[in-house]
Amino acid sequence: MESLAGYVFLGTAMFVLGVFTMVTRKNAIYVLMGAELILNAAALNFVAFARHLGNRLDGQMFAIFIVILAAAEAAVALGIVLQIHHHYPSIDVSKPDRLGD
Amino acid sequence: MESFSFWFFGTCTLLGSALVAFCPRLVHSAFALVMALIGVAGLYWTLGADFLGGVQLMVYVGGITILFIYGIMLTPKGATKPTLASLLFPGVITVIPVAVMLHLAWKGLESVFQPGDLTVAPQPTVDAIGRAFLTRDQYLIPFELASLVLLAALVGSIYLARRKKES
Repeated sequence: MESLAGYVFLGTAMFVLGVFTMVTRKNAIYVLMGAELILNAAALNFVAFARHLGNRLDGQMFAIFIVILAAAEAAVALGIVLQIHHHYPSIDVSKPDRLGD
Repeated sequence: MESFSFWFFGTCTLLGSALVAFCPRLVHSAFALVMALIGVAGLYWTLGADFLGGVQLMVYVGGITILFIYGIMLTPKGATKPTLASLLFPGVITVIPVAVMLHLAWKGLESVFQPGDLTVAPQPTVDAIGRAFLTRDQYLIPFELASLVLLAALVGSIYLARRKKES
């Protein structure tokens, strides 16, 4: 099982659990954690395919860029969550319905 | 040995992801996320991606998780119990990839994805990645753009998270 199939299966499981987290939870932090799971599943697939289809470096480079963008995304998203918290009593993602004051 | 680390870190990843999805408490989910991310780092090492595993540990486990925990501490906890009706849509979404996966497993994944040549032992990748980042016809421009994106995200998140002055 320590083959490409095993990694693809793991990636799918992580992706499904991430989507499940994003759509079932209302708390914004949970939604972000689901997004991180999805990004990690994608990066894992990149690396596994690169290793199994010719031992190339490209997949690892893509995974590094995914990590970079995930860091930027997490920082900006948490800033937005803090602003939601200043304007609304909770950080329930279904509550905010206006952009300005 | 490789098989053992695949199973160990794979279990770690799966268990952590499942706990993120199903744990009722936010803080527990955050620590389960740490577990899943460490598992993914271990899988990277199993795949011979040594530098990427280190990046994963430092940026994800050391950075993003800390951000999440700060976010949890700075915001009120709003626990919402999922109802049966609210689980219908996620259930439908979840069924599709699981069905595709089971279909592929039924046909035999090896017939879909050609088994790769694993006889070549993975080499240390730090040197090659460093050269790829700084070679113009490889990844130099994406590398510089990524630093721009990080700078913009840094400034933007400070702007977003600051407390507005009372006027």
